[in-house]
Amino acid sequence: MIPVLFCEAQTNNLPPLDKSPMDMSYYPTNYPVLKIQDKATEPVLARVIYSRPQKNGRIIFGDLVEYGKVWRMGANEATEIEFYENIKIDGKKVAKGRYTLYAIPLQDNWTIILNKDVDTWGAFKYDVQKDVLRTTVPVQMLNEAVEALAMNFEKADNGCNLIIAWDNVKIVLPINIK
Amino acid sequence: MIKTVYSLLAVFLFSCGDKKQDTSSESGRKSDTTIVNTQAANPYAVIDISPMDMSYFPVNYSQRKMTRDISTPPVMRVIYSRPHKQGRDIFGNLLKYGEPWRLGANEASEIEFFQNVTIQSKKVNAGRYIIYCIPYKDKWTMILNNDIYTWGLKIDSTKDLMKFDIPVKKAPVNFEYFTMVFQPISNGAELVMAWDDTEARLPIIF
Repeated sequence: MIPVLFCEAQTNNLPPLDKSPMDMSYYPTNYPVLKIQDKATEPVLARVIYSRPQKNGRIIFGDLVEYGKVWRMGANEATEIEFYENIKIDGKKVAKGRYTLYAIPLQDNWTIILNKDVDTWGAFKYDVQKDVLRTTVPVQMLNEAVEALAMNFEKADNGCNLIIAWDNVKIVLPINIK
Repeated sequence: MIKTVYSLLAVFLFSCGDKKQDTSSESGRKSDTTIVNTQAANPYAVIDISPMDMSYFPVNYSQRKMTRDISTPPVMRVIYSRPHKQGRDIFGNLLKYGEPWRLGANEASEIEFFQNVTIQSKKVNAGRYIIYCIPYKDKWTMILNNDIYTWGLKIDSTKDLMKFDIPVKKAPVNFEYFTMVFQPISNGAELVMAWDDTEARLPIIF
């Protein structure tokens, strides 16, 4: 338990380690590593910055995360997605820039929301007036539960997909470059 | 309570994994992106041993925006990863004096100014930069660099933009986790960087 004591030792006025640590994913996948290895074959297109709550034995969807309510898709700071060029989602144009990413999970599908109110916390002051786009994607069930909320990008025919997975649920958001 | 036990367990498990990780870093391997935590299945993105964190100025900007305590735009933010000491001597040992250090772990640390600022009488334009340092016993050379979206082990020094020497001092406590945070001063804010027994402050004027 010594490491735990270390954690608690940081009891000055500076921030302790978050329980739901932040993480970052790029498209192209692992872009910063590819870049220093001179293996990046295409320019950076997107990145997401999110915090990673853990399942910890709980039922997540329909319980901890209620169906039909706006969810910050993470923890702590609102989840941020940035596009480095203009893209399309569900046929709708999205200008390059930073957005806050929310979801409204249902049992069979999620509504994904891009919102322009960035640098905010959670979904507590979510403002529908600042929505840029809403799109609905189907839920895929996983056989093996994912412990920590995970987001990453994978290559797709016309751009990339943002994969979001937690507990026994996965969704795929297509991001198109044309 | 159960939640707390799980959290403590998670910290403990991650900490155990970190030793292996640090050994590989010291031997110069670059495969420090992610460490497989076998306790938590995750085929999409495993949890980093040195987790990422983000600090804004004004301090706690996003919470204060949420509570409507603040309505002006943020001045700046830093995104960095937080290695931990794990009983090692950090400065002059794990981190060699005179050699560049990424001020964190994994991805290069990123600082973004949402408005123009001034550092040591030099104007720094609004924008996003990599921030790293060269630690010495008595000072750190802080460097702003244009090679953004890169990995911290190989920062392209030909893209260095500005350098600033700042003094180091003994930290008020021993910091297990590397910490970067902004603290207000009369004409701006200081970027406070603290790890192990060492602390350095970069004043940013705006």
